[in-house]
Amino acid sequence: MFCSCPTTGADAPNTHVCPTCLGMPGSRPSLNGKALELGLTIAKMLKCEIPKTTWFSRKTYFYPDLCKHFQITQYDTPIGEKGVYHLGKKPIRITRVHLEEDPGKIKRVGDGSSLVDYNRSGVPLVEIVTEPDISSPAEARQFLSELLTEIRYTIDLPEDGERSVRCDCNISVGTERCEVKNVTGLKNVERCLTFEAVRQTKLLKAGRTIERETRHFDEERKVTMPARKKEYEADYGYIGEPDLGIFHIARIAENIKLRESPLNMASRFQSEYGLDERTAKQIVTTSMKLAELFEELIKVSDVQTAKTWITGGISAYWKGFEPSAEEKKKDLISIISDFHTERITDTECNIRIRSLMTGEGQKEMTDSTADLDRLIDAFIDENPSVVADYRKNDRAANRIIGSVMKQTGGRYSSADIVDATRRLMDARSQRSDA
Amino acid sequence: MDREIVERVAHIAHLDLTEEELERYSKDLSEILEYFQMLDIAPESEEFGFDPVEVADVLRDDIPDMEIPADALLSQMKTYNDFVRGPRIS
Amino acid sequence: MTSEISLKDLKELNSRYNIFTSMTAEESVDAEFVFSAKDNLTSKDFETRAGSRILEGYTPGFDATPIRRMRDAGGFLAGKTNMDEFGFGTFSANSAYGIPRNPFDTNRSCGGSSGGAACAAAVLENHVALGVSTGGSISCPASFCGVFGITPTYGRVSRYGLIDYGNSLDKVGILSAKAADLTKYLPIISGKDHRDPTSCVQPDMRRSLRRIRSVAVPKEAIDGISEDVMKSFESALELLRSMSIDVEYVGMPSLKYSIPAYYVIATSEASTNLARYCGMRYGQQEGDLTLKFDDYFSSIRSKYFGDEAKRRILLGTFTRMVGYADRYYNKALQVRQVIIAEYKGIFKTHDAVLTPTMPFVSPRFDDISKMSALQSYKADFLTVPPNISGTPHLSVPCGYSEGMPVGMQFITDHWNEDLLLSMATEWENAFDIRHPEVKL
Repeated sequence: MFCSCPTTGADAPNTHVCPTCLGMPGSRPSLNGKALELGLTIAKMLKCEIPKTTWFSRKTYFYPDLCKHFQITQYDTPIGEKGVYHLGKKPIRITRVHLEEDPGKIKRVGDGSSLVDYNRSGVPLVEIVTEPDISSPAEARQFLSELLTEIRYTIDLPEDGERSVRCDCNISVGTERCEVKNVTGLKNVERCLTFEAVRQTKLLKAGRTIERETRHFDEERKVTMPARKKEYEADYGYIGEPDLGIFHIARIAENIKLRESPLNMASRFQSEYGLDERTAKQIVTTSMKLAELFEELIKVSDVQTAKTWITGGISAYWKGFEPSAEEKKKDLISIISDFHTERITDTECNIRIRSLMTGEGQKEMTDSTADLDRLIDAFIDENPSVVADYRKNDRAANRIIGSVMKQTGGRYSSADIVDATRRLMDARSQRSDA
Repeated sequence: MDREIVERVAHIAHLDLTEEELERYSKDLSEILEYFQMLDIAPESEEFGFDPVEVADVLRDDIPDMEIPADALLSQMKTYNDFVRGPRIS
Repeated sequence: MTSEISLKDLKELNSRYNIFTSMTAEESVDAEFVFSAKDNLTSKDFETRAGSRILEGYTPGFDATPIRRMRDAGGFLAGKTNMDEFGFGTFSANSAYGIPRNPFDTNRSCGGSSGGAACAAAVLENHVALGVSTGGSISCPASFCGVFGITPTYGRVSRYGLIDYGNSLDKVGILSAKAADLTKYLPIISGKDHRDPTSCVQPDMRRSLRRIRSVAVPKEAIDGISEDVMKSFESALELLRSMSIDVEYVGMPSLKYSIPAYYVIATSEASTNLARYCGMRYGQQEGDLTLKFDDYFSSIRSKYFGDEAKRRILLGTFTRMVGYADRYYNKALQVRQVIIAEYKGIFKTHDAVLTPTMPFVSPRFDDISKMSALQSYKADFLTVPPNISGTPHLSVPCGYSEGMPVGMQFITDHWNEDLLLSMATEWENAFDIRHPEVKL
């Protein structure tokens, strides 16, 4: 946040450290412009009010993982306030968003002393605080999951599992809340909140009162424990951080263009193209590039065609294809366009798509696809009612899939069979309509 | 500036004061703070800043760089297996 | 152009005056020039202890930017000069490593907190000393030791490598017996440094030096100074008038708030800056690690911080505590802006403000030991105003009383160091500067 040490890829403790993040006497902080920009992007994404100017403050407390014995954080001018995040249709109000530096990591040693790794010291953190609008532990987890997906997409973060998320969880079932600090990962958030809900409910049922307190979550035993009573009163004694000065952020925030989030796109697909929720979410969570391609395919064909091919062969082969998607995309689009204008058949289309995306030769594929198509066609001919059933509920295709798989005994991958079946059934049910 | 407040302040500041120091500092601080009372009647200002000249919008590029090798910095610390040793935390 | 420079007198002079807390063993060097640096500026090849026992053993892995720039310009760092612990003091009497003695009278103080620097400048031949000022720690010792001392605008010189006292108040500057040194070396140590954001907002220093043609003397500044200082000061004003410089008395009513505002801001910041000294990572690290961390930290801090350091930590922790911060810390920040505005008003019609530097000549050590904390704080009432407002200022010797130097202080608007540099040269030509007798 305030020094140039790399934030990832350390191969040993205390290798990504410098005078500034070690708080060496004489060192000095300097704000990373990208961290500020990303923080503002998140604040904007959460529809926060962003102040004209912001600055940083010193929060003074003594702990071995905090090198300067003060943390440079934001106290009275967070970069965002009074925002909102929609979990489905439910608004979750965002109290504030602010930036601060992470302390190091500390662990206990047998002899009673401690060991500290300062690699993490000085890494940028954005802290998001919500109002108590979340009504259950499961909802909390869902909120975090969706929020993180959106944030990762909006600021282009790589998939990092849940390690980079820590939560202070506050929960009240009665009239008083308890706080569980430093819970790592979404599973643990749900577990700790569930445990707390039960614990607090039991207390109330037994006629006791709940006192405001701070607790910790024991990951191994999956219980919350009271935090040690603080012997030392922490009076953080906030003062401004003179070494960094002030920042006129209104201007920076105005110029930030937000990318459409996956979930926004999914709900737009539902409203604009009549996709069902499951399909829409499946497309965006597979890949945003895939979702963008979907809309491009609609332009050269129509919604139904684009949907069939996107959810069929294109999705199936997407993972391997994605790295070259940018350059080969236009070929894919022209294949679909050719199919739509009836220059090629659906079988031919399938073969070309698969060949383009997997690199397999078209000839081999042609033969094997033709065989599979024949088998499926044969089944349909023997069981014509399945087409009518399919028009009512596309799960009717499973009958065919099951039969062909048994017949071909592993010669074709189930994905290929599913894909071919769907394609042929769609073609048939369309023709029946005509 | 009574004794109790000085004790609390010393506590927060992680200073163990002897009886003599407590007496002496209470006296000094009372005297000093009494003199500081004139701030109460000092004029206010609309201007705001933590620095006497305006320091604004100074940002650093997001380029990883380490000027000094980490082991040089760690050579003076008490370490164990690359970790820095510290006191008991619980 | 380098030359062979002798350092053989260093040892003897140091044992007489306690200039250095660490110094070179070399007897001569081949360099462009020789300089010293106050011991709160980090240096790779000397321990850097900022006058405190708690930093004993700290050998930084990096040079402070001002030191690096002096070295890059061909300078040889002869040693680190003695100072009050962390800059807390007006007489360098709060040093854990020996108290510098005034070369005009070794029973008296060199001033502080850059006492060693001023002494080096007064006593060593062809020597330029880097000092640091927070509330007057360049001007005061310059005045007491009869040398020139320039404190540039806050943010003119990078503070990277400066061990913090008050981040919004600390400035690195220069002390020397020769005015030309200020003109030569200030541009070398000045300039933007990406490692210190506060150094990145400065306009370029003017190359051509403008002259001071008019000065304003605040009535508040000559109230409460000793008779001998007053006499020297008034003679100096006469001399200035004869140099065609206009002298006018003005009123600056906000000046009286500068001491409380300064000490509140300075100690609030200092109490956070000193929180890191706890027996881990550098300096004293020999405590018992099986102690609970709160106790471990407290034991080291209580053992190795000096008396004044503890007093200021307590004061500064209090002034920013919940319930008191508004009345003290936040109010003091506002008062600083009021003082700055008042200076800016004067600078619309005058090139500089002029005051005596200190209210008395250097006191004897036994008189200093009788002063209460508040009394010594109040002694800074002339140097604190330019320091709290971050305005550049220059102390020049302007008289002598019973053999002891008297200094006066020119203060100009932010970024106008060129006015001060030209004044230093002009004054040196007009005034008979005396040097201490240094017999080897």
